[in-house]
Amino acid sequence: MASPVTLKRPSRSGPLISLVPMIDVMMILLVFFMVTSTYLDLDMIPAARTADGSTGEGSGPAPTVMLRIGAEGTPVLRGQALSSQELERFLEQQLRREPLTRLLILPSGGATTQALISVMDQATRAGATRLRVVRLEARP
Amino acid sequence: MKLTRRTPNPQSETIIALIDVVFFLLVFFMLIGRMDATAPFDVTPPQAETGADMPAGGATLSVSEAGDLALDGREVIGADLESAFAALLADDPDLTLRINAHRDAELRHVLPLVGRAEAIGFRDVVLVVTPGASP
Repeated sequence: MASPVTLKRPSRSGPLISLVPMIDVMMILLVFFMVTSTYLDLDMIPAARTADGSTGEGSGPAPTVMLRIGAEGTPVLRGQALSSQELERFLEQQLRREPLTRLLILPSGGATTQALISVMDQATRAGATRLRVVRLEARP
Repeated sequence: MKLTRRTPNPQSETIIALIDVVFFLLVFFMLIGRMDATAPFDVTPPQAETGADMPAGGATLSVSEAGDLALDGREVIGADLESAFAALLADDPDLTLRINAHRDAELRHVLPLVGRAEAIGFRDVVLVVTPGASP
């Protein structure tokens, strides 16, 4: 009489590395980055750049225009307060006539940062390349 | 005898798709996120249309509307600024200093910082702005 044949089901091989802890870690990292990320679109305007020597100075004679910014933020040219449109018109005319015009901005200490940035922005849009911000310092 | 094939467990496929999505989201947030220390006070940078792209790296000096200072998220007093700058430059002499001033901060608080940073040895000092039409 023949012996009974016993069939064995092969044991199922499970995954070598369990994915569940990896998913947990990834979820924690994901939540961390989602919570800590800030979505700020930031630009910059160079205030001092001496590494490459491009400090806005050029060679050759060129007219210099001194522009003051009052404490309330109004640009003042040769003693006359200008509106934003008047300043833009003046800068465009001046830079069309003399593209190498040196523009010195002397802001009041009471003016806001936005007032200075606005004037620098207008000057750059008009094509000014030689722009300097100067300030008065008390003699020690 | 009728043998029926066992239907595969559909759960494993769902998990693989989830892992993919989570992984892409993770990479996305890691790439766009910026690990900057935030200032302990509110700072809204001024708006400008002609700003250039912000360079990566560097130290951030925040200036509040009232003129309070924070260097890389930690509040500092004006008298300690030189020593803090010197410590930063000792680690990296080519460090860029970003001055993140509140748009309503008075320039008497902001402009002297540029001169002090230059005097201590910073070669690149930039003013932080947000893109947009300046008011």
